[in-house]
Amino acid sequence: MSYFFQIIVSGIVVGSIYALAALGLVLVYKSSRVANFAHGQIIAGGAFITFFLTVRLGIPIFFSFLASMLITFFLAMSVERIFLRRLIGEPIISVIMVTIGLASIFDGLIYLTPFGSENFSFPTFLPTESIVVGGVSISWTQLVGVIITFVLIGGFSWFFKKSTVGISMRAVSDDQFGAMSVGISVPRVFGLAWATAGLSAAAAGCIIGNITGLNFETLHAFGIVVFPVVILGGLDSILGAVVAGIIMGLIQQFASGYLDGNFGLNGTGDVMPYIILLIILLFKPHGLFGIHEIERV
Amino acid sequence: MKNKATTFFNVFLVIVFVFAFALPAYAGKTYKLGMSLAITGPTSDAGNPYAKGAEDWFKFVNETDYLGDGDKIDCPIRDDQYKNDVTKRFFEEFLDDGILIFLSYATGGNLALKRDFEEVQIPVIPASYHEGLIVDANYTFMPVATYSENAVGLAEYITENHKGDNIPQVAFFIHPSAFGRGPLEDTQKAIAEGMKIEIVEVVEHGTDLDNTAMLQRLVSKGVQYVICQTVQTPVATMLTDAQRLGVTAATFGETGKLTFLGAHYTGGSDLIALAGTATEGYIWADSYNLTSENNEGAKKQLELAERYGRDEKAANSHNYGAGILAAQIATEAIKMAKDAGMEVNRENLYKMMQKMNFNSFVAAGPVTYSETERIGVDVQNIYIAQDGIFKKIQSFESQYIQKVRAGR
Repeated sequence: MSYFFQIIVSGIVVGSIYALAALGLVLVYKSSRVANFAHGQIIAGGAFITFFLTVRLGIPIFFSFLASMLITFFLAMSVERIFLRRLIGEPIISVIMVTIGLASIFDGLIYLTPFGSENFSFPTFLPTESIVVGGVSISWTQLVGVIITFVLIGGFSWFFKKSTVGISMRAVSDDQFGAMSVGISVPRVFGLAWATAGLSAAAAGCIIGNITGLNFETLHAFGIVVFPVVILGGLDSILGAVVAGIIMGLIQQFASGYLDGNFGLNGTGDVMPYIILLIILLFKPHGLFGIHEIERV
Repeated sequence: MKNKATTFFNVFLVIVFVFAFALPAYAGKTYKLGMSLAITGPTSDAGNPYAKGAEDWFKFVNETDYLGDGDKIDCPIRDDQYKNDVTKRFFEEFLDDGILIFLSYATGGNLALKRDFEEVQIPVIPASYHEGLIVDANYTFMPVATYSENAVGLAEYITENHKGDNIPQVAFFIHPSAFGRGPLEDTQKAIAEGMKIEIVEVVEHGTDLDNTAMLQRLVSKGVQYVICQTVQTPVATMLTDAQRLGVTAATFGETGKLTFLGAHYTGGSDLIALAGTATEGYIWADSYNLTSENNEGAKKQLELAERYGRDEKAANSHNYGAGILAAQIATEAIKMAKDAGMEVNRENLYKMMQKMNFNSFVAAGPVTYSETERIGVDVQNIYIAQDGIFKKIQSFESQYIQKVRAGR
């Protein structure tokens, strides 16, 4: 029975990290209807900034973590300001192509540093022993990762529901022209959306990097790995990202735990989430929590 | 007076022309080679130090007149970013430039170009040690033991060191590609030839954040040994999870626990950088001499790295050593052809490589090829991770691989 519960715990751990990594994609899409293909590079960038501040500058990792979120906040805001703001009003596909171009530029910039082609790991700052309850184990790294994930997701949910800026962002997401007519600055909202996406990406990068080690290829791959999560949850739903992330994590772990190695099956942990995604999308094409927009003409 | 001045000017011109043409001849010949590999992009954690090793060796050769007569090697190193189409383009450009030997990289790129190498009859030294590269191929000269030799060798090591009456229960943790599957297939052939291990499960990994389910499944199936044939990152995540779950064997083959072993690209200082203390006890098969051994070879590798200002990480990487070895093989072939008084061209270099036999300070054994043998260093070192470094346990050569090797 502990095997079953262990898989549930692992699924929730993996799923919540997926949710945090997916959050940045949702935030950008929610405000600007753009899928950001440079998200993985921002995830990796956040992790490497934390590493640099901690190991090279000797700043305690907790402060490095906060500082890297702050730095990526402003970096992402600058990216929006320099490259994307002038595309407001242009076809969405143009903006998406720009994000693909940005991904290449970020790749190139990171390859110019040792982080592009070397492996690193964060210094150990948490106890290495696991927490074991009833035969179910979870590492401190995972536990802290999950806690940070839920704190950030809770914070963002509150931000969007209660704060003036958050409500402005939702208003822009719902209807740009309507929002403009009541005095909301749409460009400012876009900038903030990118900035908060950068902040969450840095957090995700640090957590993933602490689990897998710091390898650029592995880290930036998560920008793509979480796309099914975002699609399943609904591209513009934070709650959707959380629920879909955990669903994906659980499916992956259960498939790996009960199907792989049995019935001649292998690698189902990677495939099964996509199969379930396709089935769910057959019935809910906008994802579990996505907005089904009806245009009346 | 005017005639005198003209005569003087003419003599001066003649002297200038004589020197202009004679100096390059005096300066020696330049032999063109070409290298294409992933300095950036996927697997660049291996490709980057590999490129540095090759570059430094060629610099050393040119600066110390290693070839004699002022002869030099010109080897442009191009970054293909692990893209096969780019590798092919670079290879064709190199051919247009008249290169004598091609120093290549990835399994995929080499498999894609394998027929081209045979058609244009150019000696190739790959960074991939995939067994399939030398099957039905004459021009590919593998620097060291193949991944299959690593995997089969590790399986042999298990049979020799396993305690208990049962047949060792083994799982394979592999990359989902030909790179990962090839060594598994050769191990299965070795089992068919009588090697006493049982492969309980094969895991083709993805981008995993948590291997709990997989590891617990392996333990519940009675698996004692996990042989890895992939790159370091997924192994690091698995080792970290195993440490957390407490399923890592404290001693080799400990019952109810997992002993992890792996081939060339799974180990080294990069694995320790990624997984830290979770690497302790990891058994690794590799044909390179590590700097942590602190022997004469290690000192020479570190001296070369220091001479060209490489950082500690690159200097201590076994991939830096691998790049040096690839460059050394090419250099030795040229030197042998020169010493034999032969013209240095592809045909003669191919002949020389088949007679090659030299010791390299980066390798675990001598580099030898013959008319039928295409693997340079057959010796493998078995290393174990202890106290944050890999320490040598023993050297050996796989016996079963000779029985199962295809096509030769």
